[in-house]
Amino acid sequence: MWAELRELREGRDLGTPPRDGVEVALTIDGVPVKVPSGSSVMLAAAMAGRPIPKLCATDTLEPFGSCRVCLVEVEGRKGYPASCTMLAEEGMAVRTDTDKLRSLRKGVLELYLSDFPGADLEGGWSEFHDTLKQCGVDCHPYGSGANHLASPVDASNPYFLFDPAKCIVCSRCVRACEEIQGTFALTIDGRGFESKVAAGQDQPFFESECVSCGACVLSCPSQALIEKSLFEEEYRHG
Amino acid sequence: MNLQQPQHREGDRSEAVIDLDRLVLMANQIADFFAPYPPLRRHEGIRNHLRTYWDPRMRKALLDHIDHGGEGLNADVVAGANLLKQADTEQKGYYGPPKA
Amino acid sequence: MANPVKPESNVVTTCAYCGVGCGFKAETYKGRVVRMIPWKEGKANHGHGCVKGRFAFDYYNHPDRVRTPMIRRSIDEPWQAVSWETAIQHAASEFRRIQNQYGKRSIGAVSSSRCTNEEIFLVQKLARAVMGNNNIDNCARICHSPTQFGLSATVGWGAASQHFDSILKADVILVVGVNPTEGHPVFGSLMKRRIREGAKLIVIDPRRTELVASPHCRATLHLALRPGTNVAVLDSISHVVVREKLYNEAFVRERCEWPEFENWAALVGDDRYSPDVIGPLAGLDPEDIRRAARLYAGGPNSAIYYGLGVTEHSQGSTGVMCLGNLSLACGMLGREGVGVNPMRGQGNVQGGSCLGSWPHVFSGYRFVTDPEVRGSFERDWGVALDDEPGLRLPNMFDAALTGHFRGMYIMGEDPVQSDPNQKHVIAAMRNMECVVLQDLFLNETAKYAHVFLPGSSSLEKEGTFTNAERRVNRVRKVIEPLAGYQDWEIVVMLMNAMGYPAKYGHAGEILDEIARLSPAYKGMSFPLLERIGSAQWPCDENAPEGTEVLHTVKFPRANGRGTFMLTEYVPTTERTNDQFPLLLTTGRILSQYNVGTQTRRTANSLWHPEDVLEISAEDAAARGIQDGDWVSITSRFGATRLRAILSARVNPGVVYTTFHHAKSKANVLTSDQSDWATNCPEYKVTAVEVVRVQPVVENMAADTAEQPAEEAFA
Repeated sequence: MWAELRELREGRDLGTPPRDGVEVALTIDGVPVKVPSGSSVMLAAAMAGRPIPKLCATDTLEPFGSCRVCLVEVEGRKGYPASCTMLAEEGMAVRTDTDKLRSLRKGVLELYLSDFPGADLEGGWSEFHDTLKQCGVDCHPYGSGANHLASPVDASNPYFLFDPAKCIVCSRCVRACEEIQGTFALTIDGRGFESKVAAGQDQPFFESECVSCGACVLSCPSQALIEKSLFEEEYRHG
Repeated sequence: MNLQQPQHREGDRSEAVIDLDRLVLMANQIADFFAPYPPLRRHEGIRNHLRTYWDPRMRKALLDHIDHGGEGLNADVVAGANLLKQADTEQKGYYGPPKA
Repeated sequence: MANPVKPESNVVTTCAYCGVGCGFKAETYKGRVVRMIPWKEGKANHGHGCVKGRFAFDYYNHPDRVRTPMIRRSIDEPWQAVSWETAIQHAASEFRRIQNQYGKRSIGAVSSSRCTNEEIFLVQKLARAVMGNNNIDNCARICHSPTQFGLSATVGWGAASQHFDSILKADVILVVGVNPTEGHPVFGSLMKRRIREGAKLIVIDPRRTELVASPHCRATLHLALRPGTNVAVLDSISHVVVREKLYNEAFVRERCEWPEFENWAALVGDDRYSPDVIGPLAGLDPEDIRRAARLYAGGPNSAIYYGLGVTEHSQGSTGVMCLGNLSLACGMLGREGVGVNPMRGQGNVQGGSCLGSWPHVFSGYRFVTDPEVRGSFERDWGVALDDEPGLRLPNMFDAALTGHFRGMYIMGEDPVQSDPNQKHVIAAMRNMECVVLQDLFLNETAKYAHVFLPGSSSLEKEGTFTNAERRVNRVRKVIEPLAGYQDWEIVVMLMNAMGYPAKYGHAGEILDEIARLSPAYKGMSFPLLERIGSAQWPCDENAPEGTEVLHTVKFPRANGRGTFMLTEYVPTTERTNDQFPLLLTTGRILSQYNVGTQTRRTANSLWHPEDVLEISAEDAAARGIQDGDWVSITSRFGATRLRAILSARVNPGVVYTTFHHAKSKANVLTSDQSDWATNCPEYKVTAVEVVRVQPVVENMAADTAEQPAEEAFA
């Protein structure tokens, strides 16, 4: 797949990696578009100028389908499939922006937001913030329940830190470490609410086999993994 | 104590642009590479290498050393370096990596 | 608050570290560089980076950066800060004085692969057009000069035949004497990806590197040869190819010189290169040599990647020829997925090699002895040029010791730390009357310099780098030069002060001059690179946007055919004996870069605070050495101390260290043995003895390297 990455452009995120294949034609919200077979619906939508909100997908990583934000409707089919894992097919008619989809996305994003430091919503500039804005979500109805705000920050690496409070467990860091760097230093430990990103044998980053290439930091959509050089003062929770 | 002799040797050496032992070593290494080639190509290979890659003062020091008996030099170095004396070689110059 | 500051602007530029040449967006906030983001459109890295380029950029702003020019009459005097004009005038008048006194050829210049193409080109112009001689060399002399020689001799061009992405079509990857996951991490990741996809990997290396055996990568074959036996082993692989008729006869007949193939086949096909003979000599199982040959020749696409483990030997050039011969014989050139590819240690080794920073060739590897080529430069530069090759870097030092070489201009290099047989180099430096050093920091060489010109980091200048896949990438100015001038501007000032009227409005005009005078760069220009991002040479009217794969139709030799060199194995004279029973070999580690001038001034030192000696458990036990003990290492040339760690990565009889810290003094040990063709030093083989010693007291362990020079300044 890497060779097709040469088609990647700085200014846009296709959502899933470009493919090399026979062209198929489909429509996205009525806009006709042609993409190589093997491409995702998400990529087709981006090409058609109808980018679909997303969190766990990015065009440098294989699709994963975990965040449930990129849902779409396909004419003549049931349900609301994730557009990152669904392949574009000849003749498909895809809707990305119906009332039902808007409501589903809002529900999912409100849940993410309920476990994100509220103070950092204002003034933040991550992909997560962009997606919230794209979907018109700026608060959640859940009050203060169980959250990760008190989880300790891992600042062991001299260049970046990991703040679990901002982690949305999208696995982009884990996949970047495997697919791009090939070091396999990161995993998701635990299940459900307990699940968290862990380096090595649940060690501090610096003590794990992490080689500090920064691929995880670059891929993190919510600035849970973030360069220390971007903070003028010592890091503390929001 | 005989100061004359060592002084004389030092004087000889300072004329060579680089230490003569090193020069001899370098030249012999070149001959080692060309050893598997038949004699004419071997000697031309050595000549071409010296002509293309060696500072003229290093070539001169080598030829001077050969004129003084060429102690320590591989016989192929002497044969190859002597080809440098042919007027057309010196004028035309060969350039490039070793030609097979 | 826990929201990061948002960088205010960014500039796309090229990493200054290794030969991968990653594209980065340098982001700034309040005039400082705060972040380096791997550039997704960078064709060498596709948005990936490593711990050096991504994070270790803060050295540019380190308090040790020298920001004013300095001079001194003698190296025993303290430095005096002076104006730029005074420093440049002093350097120029000293160089002219020396030339008047000792002759035109008594001075020379050295450039660095850390500098841009434009700077490297100007420094060779300084030597040739202004100093009036060909005493110009660059640090590729001590790493990849055999590549230029050995590949030119066989396939025609001393450069990688492929682009990096080509490896994704390789079925068999032969890695010889290079450790890409440490030295070229972003390409190392690409290689590991291909291996995970199923490509077979053969590693020829005395040490078990990460590629050989790690949790997510394993070599099909590892030939842990005894250091110094490369040529024997590669010839033995060729022996199997010839004897078992595994070669590609159609390719050789169509694309190569058949009679030379026959000569070569007769040599390597001889019984003396049989695996049964070479195996025991090199410490290998003969069957592994046969397997390697069959695997490589079987392909269908086999690609060779090699590094300094091939070149830094007394037979370095011969070793490179062996790889050229082997790939030609098996038809593994001229398409994607195959090829012979040198991995370059520094960002611009390829550029340094292309652009005439050599005593015998102009840019584009064209010989100074060739009147036609020389004429083209004479017409462009308006001066007569020396028609004789100049001195190579090690020969400059040799000639300094005999008094024939008295002055040197050095840009961005630290030969006292990086060159072999340090005692010899220091004696030579002391013998010179004017050493002008242009650098970011007072390095080891600064101790012996008379003029210090504070240079600019790659974040502070315009230009281009050429990476290991021949890709010319733009280097862009992110911030203003801390000491006032870009490096190329300083060279221009020196040229002018020495009486040569050079004038350039911006660095792009230097690239235009390079393009005008160098066929392979003919189509290169700032506007082209602005438009398409980067281009691989050759770039000309036939390939206006550059060339990814070389040799697809013919080889760049006079008759268009590849040829075979006779690569007889000649053992090095650097051998073990009772007194020095172990072989020391050297390498790199991920977090540090070369002599560490940059990375040691960043947090990267947390990963690698000191060089250590890797020794096998057997050799350690025989000497009463425990893990973590301090040991002395003694060679025929000197001695140093390191901490020892017991390692399964090296075989008994071999010890290994890195060379990133000045205090380790690795080059006190190394010999003055060098490659027969290029004088590239034999760093990879030094006979040593290792003895356990008392722990070094703490203040000796501190990095004392640069302190004396700095104290002298204070």
